[in-house]
Amino acid sequence: MTEQTEAIRRPAEQRYAAELAALAADDAGSPRPAGWRLSPRAVRKFLLGDARLGITRKFYGDDPLADRAIVSLMSQQGLMLVGEPGTAKSLLSELLAAAVCGTSALVVQGSAGTTEDHIRYGWNYALLLAEGPSERALVPSPVLNAMRSGRIVRFEEITRCPPEVQDALISILSEKALALPELGPDAVAMAAPGFNVIATANLRDRGVHEISSALKRRFNFETVHPISDPDFERELVLKQLAERLEPAGVVVRGEREVADLLVRTFQDLRTGRTAEGVNLNRPDAVMSTAEAVNVLHAAALEAAYLDDGRLSGVHIARQIQGVVLKDSPEDGKRLRAYVDHIVKERAGRSGVWKEFYSAARSLKLG
Amino acid sequence: MTPQVDAPPLRDSARDLWIVPIRHHSPACASQLERLLAEVAPAAILIEGPLDFEPLIEQVCDPRTRAPVAIVVLRDVEKGGGTRRVVSYFPFCNHSPELIALQTAKARGIQARFIDLPSTDAAMVSGDEDAGDRSLVGDETPFDVGDYVTALARELGCRDGNEVWDQLFEARIAEPDWARFFADVGQYCACIRGAVSAETMGRDGTLAREAQMRALIARHRAAIEGPIVVLVGGFHAAALIDPAHGKVVEPKAGAGAGRSYLVRYGMRQLDALAGYGAGLALPGFYERLWQARESGGASLALDLITGFAAHLRGTDMAAPSLPVVLNAVEQAERLAALRGRPFPARDDIVDAVRSSFIKDEIPLGDVPLLAELRTWLTGSAIGDVPPSAGSPPLVEAVREKARGLGFTVADGERRTRELDIYRKPRHREASRLCHALALIGSGFAQRTAGPDFRNDAGLDRLHEIWSVCWSPQVETRLIELSEVADTLMDALAAVLAEKLAGLAELGRGHSALAAIDLYAAACRAGLGEAAEAVLDAVERHVLDDPELASLVAALTDLVLLRRSRDMLDIADTVTLDRIMAATWRRILTLLPELAWSGEDQLRPAIAALADLRGLMELARSSAAPLDLGLFDEALARLGEAELDPMLAGAVTAFAITGGQIAPAALGQRLRGELASGYVDPADRLAFLGGVIAIARELLWTTPVIITALNDVVAGASEEDFVALLPHLRLALMPLDPRETDRLASEVADLIGADPNRLATLLEIPEADLAANLALDRELQAILALDGLA
Repeated sequence: MTEQTEAIRRPAEQRYAAELAALAADDAGSPRPAGWRLSPRAVRKFLLGDARLGITRKFYGDDPLADRAIVSLMSQQGLMLVGEPGTAKSLLSELLAAAVCGTSALVVQGSAGTTEDHIRYGWNYALLLAEGPSERALVPSPVLNAMRSGRIVRFEEITRCPPEVQDALISILSEKALALPELGPDAVAMAAPGFNVIATANLRDRGVHEISSALKRRFNFETVHPISDPDFERELVLKQLAERLEPAGVVVRGEREVADLLVRTFQDLRTGRTAEGVNLNRPDAVMSTAEAVNVLHAAALEAAYLDDGRLSGVHIARQIQGVVLKDSPEDGKRLRAYVDHIVKERAGRSGVWKEFYSAARSLKLG
Repeated sequence: MTPQVDAPPLRDSARDLWIVPIRHHSPACASQLERLLAEVAPAAILIEGPLDFEPLIEQVCDPRTRAPVAIVVLRDVEKGGGTRRVVSYFPFCNHSPELIALQTAKARGIQARFIDLPSTDAAMVSGDEDAGDRSLVGDETPFDVGDYVTALARELGCRDGNEVWDQLFEARIAEPDWARFFADVGQYCACIRGAVSAETMGRDGTLAREAQMRALIARHRAAIEGPIVVLVGGFHAAALIDPAHGKVVEPKAGAGAGRSYLVRYGMRQLDALAGYGAGLALPGFYERLWQARESGGASLALDLITGFAAHLRGTDMAAPSLPVVLNAVEQAERLAALRGRPFPARDDIVDAVRSSFIKDEIPLGDVPLLAELRTWLTGSAIGDVPPSAGSPPLVEAVREKARGLGFTVADGERRTRELDIYRKPRHREASRLCHALALIGSGFAQRTAGPDFRNDAGLDRLHEIWSVCWSPQVETRLIELSEVADTLMDALAAVLAEKLAGLAELGRGHSALAAIDLYAAACRAGLGEAAEAVLDAVERHVLDDPELASLVAALTDLVLLRRSRDMLDIADTVTLDRIMAATWRRILTLLPELAWSGEDQLRPAIAALADLRGLMELARSSAAPLDLGLFDEALARLGEAELDPMLAGAVTAFAITGGQIAPAALGQRLRGELASGYVDPADRLAFLGGVIAIARELLWTTPVIITALNDVVAGASEEDFVALLPHLRLALMPLDPRETDRLASEVADLIGADPNRLATLLEIPEADLAANLALDRELQAILALDGLA
């Protein structure tokens, strides 16, 4: 294996190594659950920020949820984060794992192809044939690794796995032990203190499976909602835009007004109701904050590289169709109706909406 | 932005005054106040409360009084030429510091006095006079909004002002150092006050009230020896340290005075969220906290969460299993620890239930389980007052009666009651009580289902279903009425008289109907003969009524009421019969005048005639004492006039059904009309339209009509037929599909066609269907966007 020199995206414990170190230093001696690297309060500070220690805020919009999630991880129950796509469930799970046990790398990625081996253990078949079942031949899953080392394992998109595979977690969560019968009649891996599971799931998307009641009972559920305050969402989108543009050295102008337009459009379409109280048809497409950042980022790149660097409603109009038209052609009609009625109204009052309106009118929206 | 404001000192040693800042209904303040009073041993306690409530202190402290109770004030306010009744409340619950102060004063034999402005003073009720019932306990919104509270919430990691308060103060309910506690409350409230402008305080009456409090403190200080404790909302403490004062505003006597009573009050009304503007949200939680104060809140989470789980088992919601309950308790304790609280506060418990009980995604807005938790944490208890509280006789009488009929009056829970009104006399009695309390506008009962004798609907139902809830508002309404009545019957009569007077303001055409509505309501409420007073009004309105349509509607209603006289307890129908006869005569007088209906009056006139036919059928079937024979004469007089073709058709239809003219005459007339030379082809069918509106069965019972129609259609030129066709369709529109089929087969018989070939099934290819549906959806969407859906 070669040393990785640079990655597109480094895990949370590396990105925020300095903050975690500062928290650990400040936290020394305060009581914490067995197996935890930080005290629950330090974990909270890591998520929600602390000006005194120079900790940035990383999770926005629902502080009580962060508290509940931390406390759930201290209990016998696993933590299940549910909600629409793009509501930062995975980010929250990564941050929690990094803060609680120092690593967010123990991940099972749920998919239709996930098998029980990914949850329990597999074998190195060459060794298995050569030596028979032995500890050396056993390939532990991230779950088994987390159990043995008393850390947090993350199970992403658990509802993408078939229910019978999901259910392999039931006994692990209730017994906190996993039998390894191939290694001998008494071979059991016991979970060390600190072990727990954070699962993320989407309960309503197309192509997801149910979760059995037995498994549901072993989790505390937390629903992560999209951000509802438009001003706050705009600030967040702008902040994340800056984080993406700065390393690349891209500079644009006029991003505040455009971000305002973008966030209002997203909020209107997401809730099916405009700020003025007009009802409209909600597109099926996911209109999350993360998508808004993607749109703004792409629009900014277009403005910087292909135009004069001034971000305008025109750029947003071109990028937004890519988001909205992902799922169904019906969505195009819904966006068209929104443009024809709501945006037209606003175009009379502000320049950036006017640009957006005239550019959106010329799109092929079906 | 934290305003830098110094806290007022708790003790003014120069005057030997303890000015104790509190928050109304706060258990921690109540608990700390107990400690303070025990240690300070004051010679008197002065309380922020309307001066004119002092005579009620004894009742509040009566051992038989059980909180929540409230002092209610009824006042008449002059507004825009008229007077309006305003109701205000001054509530007490078990953990109100004010109640603790009053009870302690009584136990120690020291004076307790109120020092606020009289409840009727303009400064006490400033603001929106149109608002509904209000609280006289100070406005607490500054605890929830404002930059200072918002900033503090962010600093402490709390979601709102309520959580800030819980964290800073309710958490310290068991702290032994009361002096430090009240100093902190004072500091906090002073900061909140610092963020409010003097102008606002002048406008909302705060400054006037504080002047009164200073003046009364000075007066009592001069009269009483020894330390005095002054108990005020924390917001005012800073203003009372200043010894300068003016004159005391004395309560008014006589007409301007309000009338105040001690009444039972409910937990639900105590809830700040219920819109009364005072108290802490979810008062049931604070009641439990108060009960757990000795243990310092130690078992609070366990009690509340197991209590809620037990409550869920009694509902149709899924109850949690024991491990889930244990997890929730653990969750609540750990949340409290994480948030730095000695025991779980309100939000910790709600959060714990949210995480543990609900194994699913929670949509924005709400889920039933959390709504149930909030209802449960609000509580539904209603207090009690001693008999000496002078609950007016009306209140006692109605409570007694309701209890006797099996209604629960001890709490404010909403219940459903099913009444078997036909078979069980007691249930019928209960139904009358519900109707009566609905008529007086008490909000006690709402009927959700049952037979409607007034509108001839649901008569096959045997049971009435009511949703009932004995709330403090019911008692307040009764207290209001007790000024004019001592019994429910008298109260009903008074309400009836008031409503009757109000009828005059309604439009003339509708007043007879409204009066009949009122009569029906009065009968259902069991008013018996007293209801007849309403009938006089009905008669007066009927005789004045120039509209045939509204008279027909009124008489139809009267016939329906008479038919259900047993259920409505109308023993004597003499008056009713007389009015029905008068109305009938009036209808017959107006009937010939239809001949002069203007063009725009034609359709309503035809509709009234159709209703009239229905009325006559109803009168015949229910044996109403109407002289129906008189009708023929009046109809004949109408028929003599020169009539519009449509009206003529209607009159002819009546005449045929009554047997005055032969069907053959109709055939001749119809042929003439259809073939006539009117410019507008519509007029040629007006006569037929009139016939169909009154008696469409003639189309198949009187063959001459079809023959005549057929002759005209067969004889028409292609061009003429095309001109006639749309109007023919319009004329036949009132027919329902079955009748259309029937008519079609009659026509087929006449012209010798095969009736079986009439119905043709037109195949629509699936693609067309889909395209049409899509078009329809699109149209719907466009309409929806235009707000036309």
